[in-house]
Formats: sequence, structure tokens, C-alpha cells
Amino acid sequence: MVSFFRSPEFLTVLSALNTGFVKTLQLFFVTLVGAVPLGLVISFGSMSRLHPLRWLTKTLVWIVRGTPLVLQIIALYYVPGLKGFPIWSGGESGRFTAVAVAFVINYACYFSEIYRGGIQGVPAGQQEAGLVLGMTKRQIFFKITLLQMVKRIVPPMSNEIITLVKDTSLARVVALQEVIWMGESFMKGNQGYAGLVWPLFFTAVYYLIFSGAATLLLGKLEKKLEYFR
Amino acid sequence: MMKSKKFWALLLALAMVLSLAACGGKDASSDNSGDGGTSVVAPEDQKTGGTGSEPADGESDLAYVQGKGTLVVGMTDFAPMDYRDAGGNWIGFDADMASAFAESLGVKVEFQEITWDYKVMELNAKSIDCVWNGMTLNDEVKAAMDTGNAYCLNAQVLVVPTEKAADFESLTSLEGLNVAVESGSAGEDAAQALGASTTAVAKQADALMEVSAGTADAAVIDLLMAGAMIGEGTNYANLTYTVNLNTAQGLESEEYGVGFRKGSDLVDAWNSFWSAAIADGSVLETGTTYGVQESLILA
Repeated sequence: MVSFFRSPEFLTVLSALNTGFVKTLQLFFVTLVGAVPLGLVISFGSMSRLHPLRWLTKTLVWIVRGTPLVLQIIALYYVPGLKGFPIWSGGESGRFTAVAVAFVINYACYFSEIYRGGIQGVPAGQQEAGLVLGMTKRQIFFKITLLQMVKRIVPPMSNEIITLVKDTSLARVVALQEVIWMGESFMKGNQGYAGLVWPLFFTAVYYLIFSGAATLLLGKLEKKLEYFR
Repeated sequence: MMKSKKFWALLLALAMVLSLAACGGKDASSDNSGDGGTSVVAPEDQKTGGTGSEPADGESDLAYVQGKGTLVVGMTDFAPMDYRDAGGNWIGFDADMASAFAESLGVKVEFQEITWDYKVMELNAKSIDCVWNGMTLNDEVKAAMDTGNAYCLNAQVLVVPTEKAADFESLTSLEGLNVAVESGSAGEDAAQALGASTTAVAKQADALMEVSAGTADAAVIDLLMAGAMIGEGTNYANLTYTVNLNTAQGLESEEYGVGFRKGSDLVDAWNSFWSAAIADGSVLETGTTYGVQESLILA
């Protein structure tokens, strides 16, 4: 068993999976950095008092949440080129950009609904208290509502973030070579190894370690925010 | 054909709705342009998909490739045609010849792994410039791409567990068998023509896994690939191939070809490159390196 972990087969597979997992992580972090703020903007849209804006935002959220992410990736990557406007640069980087845009939009829509729930869940009494203290609307939002919303949304956001780690595997539909793609590549043949099934299942180790670390971190964050109670 | 038209129409409708929604945040007038766009655009693209008149409007595909300085070759990992060596570089019969072709055009070669089901879409979206990956020239391929002359022969074979091989030897029908095939492959057509109930999987290698895991009775894959991937000394030592499905159907062998965009002048460039490469012996030499010399078309 130990000798297997030192065999050239294991080391070759491991380095290929590592390369793939770096792609997975890049996609994960880019999505998070893009979708967390964009989700807040969308949630403002869906709570707006302007009727057309609210309607449009809700339609967008309906479409994005109502269609499979995998279909959105395919449409976003291929349709511009098919219409004669290839907006994505060639090669791996263009694929990555297209996939990242699809992920950011998709997750921002999910996040926006979580934010909306968090903001609307802050009791009206809190805002009234702010008014009594003579705070401006802006101050009330940032110092009272938003702060309390952050605490409320940590558990549902943790759910989405852990789902995101695994959803990144959908990117392989447009041949983005993330960790599952790399695992599968050894079934067909990669770097002289063909017909290996174990690398595919071995990718689970990467996901488990990463989601384990994410769970711990998010749990710590939740504890830190406990003083709001 | 009908099915693919519907698919395009749906996809475009989705794209339109998405783009409408995306720019919808600014003003409500984008509503109208979005609506008009859908009705105008859908039939136009069916034309492009069907006859692919796109590159024909004056612009030379060869000039386009030479202008950007790279020939992007769409392929999958498919030994012995395209696969990675221990150093991670693409080698194989197709890969080596593609490098030589790019060199003859004076451009760099770039290998891009693609999802096989999307090869036509990749080509038309210009994210690749050709499909060069042991591609069987079937009706669908010929309808969607312009292809160079056939360069290699192939057949579809039935892969079964070695200990059951005797049961399959003189089979002429696959009725009652559950057969794993690559989705959209020539093997899928052949298995269905012989009455098998098929399970479509993403890759030929997945089909092999189905058989070795016992979740399918047999698999249908390319002869060239079967020769390289199963039997003694491979990771599928317990599998073997028996029936040649082309013979069983009374059909000719299949042929491999390279696919380009419809109307592309790269086809002519490829054909003259290939004739020259046959004449100077480099086709045979490269073929011998990868053990496919028996299947090459050298006429």
C-alpha cells in the first residue's frame, strides 16, 4: 500500500489532479469574489420601490435560478461565437472567463435572495430605534440592518458556498480542465496511463478536504458574530 | 435534422432572453429590440447551421488562421491518434501530422481538448479551427463540416469480457444486449442498427468502464482504440473484442477525416498538404511510429 503512494502512477495522477484542482479553486474564488457583491446589488433591485426595476430583477432571478447552470455555461460560451461575435479569447483562458461569468451571475442570483431574506428579516423595530436616535437612512442601513443581516445569512451562505465547491465541476462541459476532468482523463488515457478508474473517485478527497476546511472557517465566522444576539 | 433545428431555436431563444435580461436593468426599451432580435435571428442561424454559409462571404478561413498565427486543433484524448506523453506533450498520429500541417501553413499549432458532442458548435463558434481526432466520416459529420480526404480506415468492434468472448463469436444480431456506446458516435449507430439497446456514455473510455464494472453486457468502440486500450498489458486485461460490426452489417469500413468549417479554404490546403506528405513518405513514417500503418489510406 505504501509503495503504491510512491509509485510513478500515483505521483503522475496526483500532479495532474493538483493542476486540475488549482483550476477548481480559481473558479471557486473568482465566483465568490464576484458574486458576493453582485448579489447585494441584485437584492437591492428586487427590493426596489421602482416597479419596472423590481420586475426586471425578479425576471432575471427567475431565469437564472430556473434554468440549469450547465445550460447557462454552454449558452454563454458558444452563442456569441456562433452569432459571429467571438467575445471570449481563444484557449483555456477564454473558457475560464466565460465559465466564471456564468458562475458569478448564477450564484449572485441565489445570494441575492439570501440577502433579501436577511435584510427583510431584521425587525422593523431596529430601524425605528435608529430613527429615534436621529440616524440618517444611510446610517441605519449600514450600521443597523446590514450588520444584523450578515449574522443571519451565514448559515444559508455556508450552504451555497459548499455547493459552489462541487458545482465547479460543471465547468468541464466546455472542456475547462478542472479536477474531475483530470480524474476522468486517466480512464481514456493521459501521460501513458489508460483505463485507470481510481483517479476519478480519488478527486472526492480534494472536495472533502476543501469543504471540510470551508465548514470550519464558516463555523468560526458564525461564532464570531454571535455577540449580535 | 429537425431535432437539431429545434435545439438551435431553443438555444437562441434562451440566449436572447438571457441577454435581454442582462441589459434589461438599464432601460425598458431593450424589450423591443430583444423581441425583434429573436424572430429575425432564429431562421438566419438555421441557415448557418445547415449550410454554414458563414465563411463564404468573402473572407478566407486560411487567411483568418494565418492572420492570428495559430491553428487551433480540436481533439480529445484518443490514443493512438492524440494523447499525452509522460512529459504532458500531445503526441500521436493525428497530433504529429497536425503539427506538420500547421508548420506548412506557417502558423503555430495549438491543441485544444474539447467535449466531443460540441465539436460542430466549437468549430462554428471559432473556438477551434479544425476537428482532427480520428473522426469517423459519417453523415452527420459530412452535413455539418467540410472535410478533407479520408486518410485512415476504421471499424466498430464489440468489446466483451474475455471469459464470455466465446458466446459472442458468431453473433450477427445484438438484440437483447445492453451495450454501452459513446454518445453521438459511429458505434452508437452501428449498435442500434443491429438491434442492441444502448446506453450512451460521454466517452469511449467510459463505455469500457461500463463493461468492466458489469453495468453493460458489451461496449462498441473504434477498432483502433480497442487495439490500443484493451487486452493483455493494459488496464483492461479482462476485456477483448470480437465482432466487427461493419462486417456484421455488411458495410464497408469507416473512414477517418479532418473536419473544417463549411466553405473553408483550409480543406484544399489540407488536401494538398496531405498528398505531399503521402508522396514524401512522412504519413507512412508517422503511422508506423504509432502502429496505425495497416489502416492508413495511402492512395
